[in-house]
Amino acid sequence: MNITINNVDNKTLVTLDGRLDTSNADQFQQDIAPLMEGDKPNIDIDCTGMTYTSSQGLRLFLSLQKSVMSRGGKMVMRNMNPQVKEVFDITGFSNIITIL
Amino acid sequence: MKKRFNPIKDKSSEIIEFLMTSPDMPDDEALRFKLRLSIEEAVENVVRYAYDGGIGWLEAGTSLDHDSLVLTIELRDAGIPFNPLEKDDPDITLGAEEREIGGLGIFLCKKMMDSINYRYENGNNVLTMSKKIR
Repeated sequence: MNITINNVDNKTLVTLDGRLDTSNADQFQQDIAPLMEGDKPNIDIDCTGMTYTSSQGLRLFLSLQKSVMSRGGKMVMRNMNPQVKEVFDITGFSNIITIL
Repeated sequence: MKKRFNPIKDKSSEIIEFLMTSPDMPDDEALRFKLRLSIEEAVENVVRYAYDGGIGWLEAGTSLDHDSLVLTIELRDAGIPFNPLEKDDPDITLGAEEREIGGLGIFLCKKMMDSINYRYENGNNVLTMSKKIR
């Protein structure tokens, strides 16, 4: 899983590329650490390149969402492929995280 | 085909790839996604929790009924007796604040596969997951 993080104006643009699974979830957790800091974050995650996520990935997206909410910020995930979206739907994460 | 992995500590990826490259596996990408997810969650459960410190074995196998086209994945270990199907499903209607982090793995297996069964047999945990692949 490759991740790029760019701060543009007051927005944090994140691009995800690859598979998020048990082999790289720990690395991903370190990679998203910068997103867990700062007041009123405005995070926009482009999931076009994310081909897979397991519960390990969901766990991290939930942590991130909780962190963002506790800091009075907002977060959206966009362009999810249908299979990844189904995982978010089945687990009720689509109701917790804004998916565009 | 089946294979016994021993020890299994840090071997999740190897076990998952062994199952995903089985000749019994379908080519359809959407199906493979569901199978990979179920396999990963089930294998990870054994690797993380079945044995103290991950020292132990896991036998992983696939079989395909060529008449019904039902694929079955079987995982067998000699770890702590544990029926993952007894665990309550997570409440998926809760908001972010109330949602607990974790508890989603076996729930995803149940949703992605057609059937999932557990038995304790000769000192082994045996988990079987089946899905029609056509």
